[in-house]
Amino acid sequence: MKGIRYALKHSLVTKVILSTVFLSLGVVWLTGSALYSRLADGIRSTSLNSSLAESRYTFFNAEYQMLASSQLKVEDRKRILAEFVVSTSTQGINEERREVIFLKTPGVKPSTVSYEMSSNIIKNSSIPEDLRKRVQKNSKLQYAYAAAKYNDGGIVDSLFVGQKIKIPDVGRYEMYIVFSLKNQSTTLDLIFNSLLVTGIALLLLISLITWLVVRQVVRPVREAARIATQFTQGDYSQRMKVVSTDEMASLANSYNEMAHSIEQQISRLEHLSRVQQRFVSDVTHELRTPLTTLRMASEVIHNQRQSFDPLVARSSELLAAQLDRFERLLEDLLEVSRFDAEVAVLEPVEFDVISLIKRCAKDFDIASDSGAPEIQVRSDQVAVSIRADIRRVERVMRNLLSNALDHSEGKEVVVTVVATDSEVGIGVRDYGSGLDESALIRVFDRFWRADPSRARSRGGTGLGLSISLEDARLHNGELDAWGRPGLGAHFVLTLPRNAGSSINARPIKATPIDFHQEIFYQ
Amino acid sequence: MTLVMVVDDDQDLAEMLGIVLTSSGFDVDLVSRGDEALEVFRNNPPDLVLLDVMLPGIDGIEVCRLIRKESMVPIVMLSAKGETQDIVRGLEAGADDYMQKPFKDKAELIARIRTRLRRTNADVTGLLTIGDLVIDVTAHEVRRGTALIQLTRLEFDLLVALAKDPGRVFTRDALLSEVWGYRQTTDTRLVNVHVQRLRSKIEHDAEHPEIVMTVRGVGYKAGGTA
Repeated sequence: MKGIRYALKHSLVTKVILSTVFLSLGVVWLTGSALYSRLADGIRSTSLNSSLAESRYTFFNAEYQMLASSQLKVEDRKRILAEFVVSTSTQGINEERREVIFLKTPGVKPSTVSYEMSSNIIKNSSIPEDLRKRVQKNSKLQYAYAAAKYNDGGIVDSLFVGQKIKIPDVGRYEMYIVFSLKNQSTTLDLIFNSLLVTGIALLLLISLITWLVVRQVVRPVREAARIATQFTQGDYSQRMKVVSTDEMASLANSYNEMAHSIEQQISRLEHLSRVQQRFVSDVTHELRTPLTTLRMASEVIHNQRQSFDPLVARSSELLAAQLDRFERLLEDLLEVSRFDAEVAVLEPVEFDVISLIKRCAKDFDIASDSGAPEIQVRSDQVAVSIRADIRRVERVMRNLLSNALDHSEGKEVVVTVVATDSEVGIGVRDYGSGLDESALIRVFDRFWRADPSRARSRGGTGLGLSISLEDARLHNGELDAWGRPGLGAHFVLTLPRNAGSSINARPIKATPIDFHQEIFYQ
Repeated sequence: MTLVMVVDDDQDLAEMLGIVLTSSGFDVDLVSRGDEALEVFRNNPPDLVLLDVMLPGIDGIEVCRLIRKESMVPIVMLSAKGETQDIVRGLEAGADDYMQKPFKDKAELIARIRTRLRRTNADVTGLLTIGDLVIDVTAHEVRRGTALIQLTRLEFDLLVALAKDPGRVFTRDALLSEVWGYRQTTDTRLVNVHVQRLRSKIEHDAEHPEIVMTVRGVGYKAGGTA
């Protein structure tokens, strides 16, 4: 059942064939039964008419025989009658045999002599009572259809024809001739079976023809679908073949025109993207080389600052610091343009994400002024091995940690790692100034800052979170943010454990478990 | 005095590199064109080459290939492009190490140069055998039977690092710190490319290595000492 429903839903051929078969079944059924009833009626009335004509002649003959023999002795008359009965009953061949019954009409002048007789193998009780009454009342010939019961137990549908017969000096008798309908019903069965077989054969033929015709239409459609699929998968050179001038051909032509125009658009865009890529690469080269010179020069100057007057010394410090910042900005900008040009490549390796996080956390702790550990790393597992681009994951972690430390207002920052078989979730939670609704929407925007007046204590470029989000997505992962003013923020990085697989769940929800909504809104 | 040849088309950067290197006690030869580099190299063979990738005349990668054909001198590529394929191309052409512009600081540059000039396995002496190779650490020679195999100094160091502790699995990070002297880096391309280059010189069939074996997901080890 499921298979049929699937085929009906997905195969045009099946759909068309099934509906054609159902409709033709109705038509064949109607014409077949009409034809059969017409034929049956015709055959029945023909055989009835001939039976009646034959009976009329036989009854006349019987009366004549009896009249002619009225001078003879009773035994002779009986013999003549018996001979007549036998000759009449054997007139037909095989199945065509008739049975003849001679009955005395009851209740009329009893006579000592009885001429009752029959061709002896049929039960007299087979004659319908109703027919007997009609025969007794009318002088004309009467008939009825009924089952004839034979002495050997057989029952055959038959036509009973009867009439009054006057036997002079003896009284009234009824004579019945029983025509077996066996032959007729055999004919009708034959007709019925022939019609049935013809009907089924017709249905099969119609299905076959429909299948052939539909296939002619569907094959080009399937071909078109295949070509369109290949086109979708990136083979832009695929075109439909145009072999005729029918509707399929005009579809193919329009499709090919569309494909051509798409191919042109794509190659134009690819060209633009190549230009962009080359531009990025050129900018890189052109900016990096002077920056290298600048940095080295600044370092040489910076190393000599003790011999400068204080203003120059301070200037050299500012110069060195700003060159650092300029370099970070340049690197981030280049990374962003790589994402924009879609040339960022994933270089996955296998590594333990927990030791990576611990290493990053340690670097930040060393750099912090207080010296006390500000970052706690919590996980049920000792090590979580993942396959990902370690450079990018490290960059995301450093971004999230430096962000959290910038906004933690001196409170601790907690990193949670939860791994499932297919995903790993890394939550970075701080309890500092937090974020409001409008900030959450914009937090991943380029150059957006939570509070423009804030000191840029760790010298972020304003591109960190935006790059982190792209890094996460390059792994088919996600980066989610949560925050409430005054309650801190929670950034959750979810990565597939094998880079490129999709993530089906978030091992860590963005809303942190230590946050209780009802308390917040009281 | 140690002579460093600097090939860079940016005059200012070349001059600045000259100042920094001279102040650190090196002699410096400055070349600004790719097609002049080989001639200068032949006339006055340096102890180390600092080579920019983008050069007028012929590009740095080609220069690297030409120098490597006639010398095993350490070559450090300077790349302004951070793209992977440029770095890999440079390493495949025979560079020992690369530095991406802009350098973190002067100290990094000097440290890299010193590492390339120093022998990294100073504690190992005498003969080492690995597979059918005999390594004479003192004479800085590798032989298969009587045939001498030419290795760059870095390839030699890499082979010795693996061979002195046969069977031990070295992670790529461990090799980076042992051979290249990096304290912390995540760039394993350096190791991969050099292992490929080393294999192409010492293995019978580089596709089915028997001396430098890959340990999947971990790193490399020296195979059978038999």
